[in-house]
Amino acid sequence: MKSGKKKFTVGRAFLWAALILTAVIQIFPLIWLLDFSLASSTEMFTSGLLIIPEKIQWGNYQKAFVDGHFLRYLKNSVLINGLAVLFVILISIMAAYACRRMKWKLSGLVKTILLLGMMIPIHATLLPNYKIYSMLKLTDTIWALLIPYVAFSLPQAMFLMTSFLDSIPMELEEAAVMDGCGIYRIVFQIVTPLLKPSIATVSIMTFLNNWNEFMMASTYLSSPTWKTLPFSVLEFTGQYSSNYAVQFAVMALTAAPAVIVYILLNKHITKGVAMGAVKG
Amino acid sequence: MRKKVLTTMLSMTLAIGAIAGCTLAASAEEEVTLKVFSNLPDRKNGQGLVEQMIIDEYMEANPNVTIEVEALDEEAYKTKFKAYAMDGMPDVVSIWGQPAFLDEVLDAGVLAELNEEDYADYKFIEGSLEGFKKDGNLYGLPRNTDVAVIYYNQKMFEDNGWSVPETYDDLLALAGTIREAGMIPMAMDGGDGWPMAVYLSDLVEKINGSTNEIFADAIANADFTADALKEACELMVESAEAGLFQDGYDSQDYGTAMNLFTNGQAAMFYMGSWEASMALNEDIPEEIRTNIRVFTMPVVENGAGSANDIAAWNGGGYAVSASSEVKEEAIKFLNYMYQPDKLSKYGWENGVGMSAQDQSEYMTGDETELQKQIVEIVNNATSVSGTPINDCGPSAFKASIESAIQSMTNGTSTVDEFLSVIAEACK
Repeated sequence: MKSGKKKFTVGRAFLWAALILTAVIQIFPLIWLLDFSLASSTEMFTSGLLIIPEKIQWGNYQKAFVDGHFLRYLKNSVLINGLAVLFVILISIMAAYACRRMKWKLSGLVKTILLLGMMIPIHATLLPNYKIYSMLKLTDTIWALLIPYVAFSLPQAMFLMTSFLDSIPMELEEAAVMDGCGIYRIVFQIVTPLLKPSIATVSIMTFLNNWNEFMMASTYLSSPTWKTLPFSVLEFTGQYSSNYAVQFAVMALTAAPAVIVYILLNKHITKGVAMGAVKG
Repeated sequence: MRKKVLTTMLSMTLAIGAIAGCTLAASAEEEVTLKVFSNLPDRKNGQGLVEQMIIDEYMEANPNVTIEVEALDEEAYKTKFKAYAMDGMPDVVSIWGQPAFLDEVLDAGVLAELNEEDYADYKFIEGSLEGFKKDGNLYGLPRNTDVAVIYYNQKMFEDNGWSVPETYDDLLALAGTIREAGMIPMAMDGGDGWPMAVYLSDLVEKINGSTNEIFADAIANADFTADALKEACELMVESAEAGLFQDGYDSQDYGTAMNLFTNGQAAMFYMGSWEASMALNEDIPEEIRTNIRVFTMPVVENGAGSANDIAAWNGGGYAVSASSEVKEEAIKFLNYMYQPDKLSKYGWENGVGMSAQDQSEYMTGDETELQKQIVEIVNNATSVSGTPINDCGPSAFKASIESAIQSMTNGTSTVDEFLSVIAEACK
């Protein structure tokens, strides 16, 4: 007890100071974003770190909502990202189970091939994929985004799922088989609940990666039907210079859902990564 | 579960089929859908607004035509343009009448040929169609005439007793005076590379009297040792050393540079004539926006170019896709846009700069001083430079010169190194 108290006065104080400093550095960009989104475009180029707006410009947010078609893009973003997360989790659990727990000849090779996807840069696939989509008449549909989002998130998800799966004792499944469980029930009712931490990690990683994606969206989509949130920023990009203040407001609005998702799932993430990393 | 997935997928395929079927059936009934691919994502301001106004008018006048606009900003636009070039362009597209962009596009044969005689009455400024031609055939129409100018704050000049420089030496001397007064002489968007390349072209125009041949020769032979080029580069380095540009100009972008000027921190601002709308921009303090005036690059001592040889070019424009299924309607729409009372007139009224057509009819007398000055500069011009150097070569050359020019002006590399680096990019 005594030594614990001593630690609190010296060591803990130092620790707290360090942690607070880190937290401030981490949160500062968000504060900065909010601050700038409430200023007017002309106030933006001061030398100071933060601006004290002469008049708080709520109009920026109004413009973001109305002229930026924020709600329509938000709906698309939520739908596309939600589905992408769902597909990635479903496929990665099944694939991870098939490659790690089932005994078949090429299981190792298939896993390696799936993981190889991590090394393919998005830019290299942009134009070939466009060609394929246009042959399949998939451009400008929701699939044009869903397919690449799932495909590019899958390797990482597989990686986390397989290493996490290794930490789950095989005996559980053996017991389930003894009790007459089928393969789908084993995967979805016995194993999946145990994978919760890594499911959370995979969800948030997939979500954050795809939430701000613009390159593929701008290439594969042409009509506004399925356009996602990053397009909202574009509505305020002029030929030579842009309406920065409203763009900041759009970005603040775009960042909000991602931050909320992160806060909600934060608890599980560290757990998922740590447990997956030190297996066994 | 599996059944559900299957049915959804099947119904999706059906739905896609139905949509495809619809468009086919529709075109048979003379319902036309025109797809316009534009590089102006902001549809509420400036050039984007003008474009949208004309589109809306056209749809009103032709109820059977629906125009769908897809707009992306420059980099995303160019990437997507490549994707479209592989596999079916939209019907009407934005293009740039510069070799860096257009050569590759025309080699791919994706743009429809236009009949030049149709445009005899459209009052295009002489020579403005040249950039959009290949082997004498016309493939696109220019939208703007861009002039490189030096904006200055007249009130600041008068208050401090500064006068508009006549020669380049005067300009450098003025820079020193302004520095001493504790202000920034000229705001420069050095972060982007292209404004500096325009500045360099402007200097070559003043030294050599013309730029077209000297740039074309240098790029074709990958040899940039011509005296005029070297002299222009040396002048630029000298200007940067003399503190003509703001501190850190080589990393500051368009908005930052412009705001130095519109906040009254800088006395001058080097940019294109499209920024003449600054005079109408209510975000800029009134005291400043009503006092913005322009002059062009001052003459260089012993240079062949006079004060009326200006750096001006026709950049952006429109073209029609060669593979368009509704080519006739697309050309009809293109011609509609270029009727002198559309792009040209609306552009003028909205202060988005000079069009590539004769605008004198639309002068109301209510123009800002700034607009009038720019018109005067163009009307008095004895020769225009044409495309700036960075857009004269292939895209690798453009990328090279736009990044290397900063290292030259800030002294990281020498003029000779710069000239050999950009020559290398032409090979």
